[in-house]
Amino acid sequence: MSDMHVPRGSSVRVGAVDGDLEVEGRATIEAEGVARVQGEVRCTGSVDVVGNLECREFRSEHGKVHIQGNLTVADRVATDEGELEVSGTFAARDVDVDRRLVLGGPATVETVEVGGRLEGASTLRAKEVSVGGHFTLAGKIEAHSVEAGGSVELHEVSLDDLEVGGMVHVGGGAVRHRIEVGGKFSSDEPITFGDFSVGGWAEFRGHASGQKIEVGGVLSARQDLAFASLEIGGMGDIHGNAAGRDVEIGGKFSVGGRLELTGSLEVGGMISVERELTAASIEVGGKLRAERAIVSGSVEVGGTIQTNAGLKARVIELGPRSRAVGPLVGGRVVLSRGARAEDVFGSTVELDRKCEARRIVAENIRLRESCTVEQIVFTGSLVMESGVTVRSPPQKVATLPPFPL
Amino acid sequence: MISERASGEPNARRREATDLYATVLEVVKRYHGAARITRVSYGAGMPVDRLRLLMDRLLALGLLQSEDVDGRPVFDITPRGQEFLDTYWKMRGFVEGLEGAPDRRAGGRR
Repeated sequence: MSDMHVPRGSSVRVGAVDGDLEVEGRATIEAEGVARVQGEVRCTGSVDVVGNLECREFRSEHGKVHIQGNLTVADRVATDEGELEVSGTFAARDVDVDRRLVLGGPATVETVEVGGRLEGASTLRAKEVSVGGHFTLAGKIEAHSVEAGGSVELHEVSLDDLEVGGMVHVGGGAVRHRIEVGGKFSSDEPITFGDFSVGGWAEFRGHASGQKIEVGGVLSARQDLAFASLEIGGMGDIHGNAAGRDVEIGGKFSVGGRLELTGSLEVGGMISVERELTAASIEVGGKLRAERAIVSGSVEVGGTIQTNAGLKARVIELGPRSRAVGPLVGGRVVLSRGARAEDVFGSTVELDRKCEARRIVAENIRLRESCTVEQIVFTGSLVMESGVTVRSPPQKVATLPPFPL
Repeated sequence: MISERASGEPNARRREATDLYATVLEVVKRYHGAARITRVSYGAGMPVDRLRLLMDRLLALGLLQSEDVDGRPVFDITPRGQEFLDTYWKMRGFVEGLEGAPDRRAGGRR
C-alpha cells in the first residue's frame, strides 16, 4: 500500500491512491476522472480539489478545502479550525466541521455537526443535524433531528424533531414529533407537527396543524389552525378558523373565523371571535366578543359579553359590574352585583344587588335589592327584594316563549 | 446566528448586550454540557477574546457553569440561564408582536 504526499503550493493530478493522501496548504488536486483514495485524505491549510474525490476518511485543519466536484467519504469527515465546501454531491457517514460547511449539491449523511454555519443549496438526508450557529438549506431536508443554537432557514421539511435556540423559518412540511424554538418561528406553507413550543413569537402563514402548542409571547396564524391544546402567554391572532380541545391565553385572543373547542377556553384578557364560538366551558377575565357562542357547560366572564346572535350555556355567570350585550340563554344565569344585561333567558335567573336587565324570560327568577328590569315573563316563581324596579307588570304565563339559539 | 442585521430582516436592530447573552447561552445549550469556547465562538459568530469576557460575565451571574474536562474548560447552561432565556424570548415575542405584526383590521377584514 503506498501513500501519496502533495507538497505545499503544488498542483497534482490524482487518480487511484492505495494508501493515504496527504495534502499541504495552497495545493490543488486535479482528479483524473475520480480521485479514489483507499485510505485517509488529510489536508493542512487551504486546498482545492478539482473533480470528484472518494476516500475512506477525510480530515482537514486550519484552512478551507474546496471540492469542485463530488465528495464521497465512506466513514468520517472531520475539519478542525476550518471550512469545507463541496460543489457537487456529498456523501459521508459522520461529519464534524468546526467552522463552516457549504454544500452545493444533494447531501446524504448519518450525522453532521457544524460549529458555525451549515449552508446547503440542495437537499439533505441525515439522521442527526447539529449546528452551533446558522443553518440554511434551499432544498428539502429529511432527517430525524435538527438542532441549532442560532437560526435556521429551511424550505420543505420532513423531520421528527426540530430544536433551535434562536429563530426558525421553514417553508412547510412535517415535523412529526416536536418543534422547540427559543425565539421566533415562522412558516410559509402548510405545516403539521406534534408538539410545538416557542418562547417568543410564532407565525404560521399557511394552514397549521399540531397537538400541543405552547407560545410564550405572541402567536399569529394567517389561515386555519388545528390543535389539541393551545397555550399562549401573551396574545393570539388566528385569521382563519381554529379547532381543537383546550385553549388558554394570558392576554388577548382573536379569531377571524370560527372557534370550535371540545374542551375549555380560558382567557385572561379579551377574546374576539368573528363567527361562531363553541366550547365545553369558558372563563374570560375581561371581554368576550363573538357572533354567537354555544357552550355545553359553564361560562364565567369578568368584564363584558358581546354577541350579535347570543350566548347559550348551561350556566352563565357575569362578574360584578360586568356587562352583556346580546341575548343570554342559560339553564342558570347569574348576574353579580351591579351587572347589566339585555335579554336574559333561562330556567333560573338570579340578579344580585343593583343589577339591570332589559327583559327576563325564565321559569324561576330572583331579584336582589335595587335591581331594575324593564320586562319579566315567568312560569314558576318570582322573588323580588326591596327597592326592585320592574317597569312593566311581571307576566306569569303557562308556557315560556321559545328561547333564541 | 441570532444577529438580525446579518439576517437581512426589515426593521433589523443592533444586537444589545442581552441579545449577545442569549445568543451565547443558546449555542452553549446545544452542546449539552460539553461546549468548548472555540465551538461557541463559531456558533455565536464572535471572536474568542471577546467571547471569553462575555462568558466570564455569564459565569459570574450564574447563568453558565464550567468544568475542566481533559484540562480544558467546557461550559453548560444553568437553570438560572435557562430562566433568563425563557424570559428573554418571551419578551422579544411581545416586542416583535407589538411592533412588527400588521394590524389585521387595517386590511378591512372586519
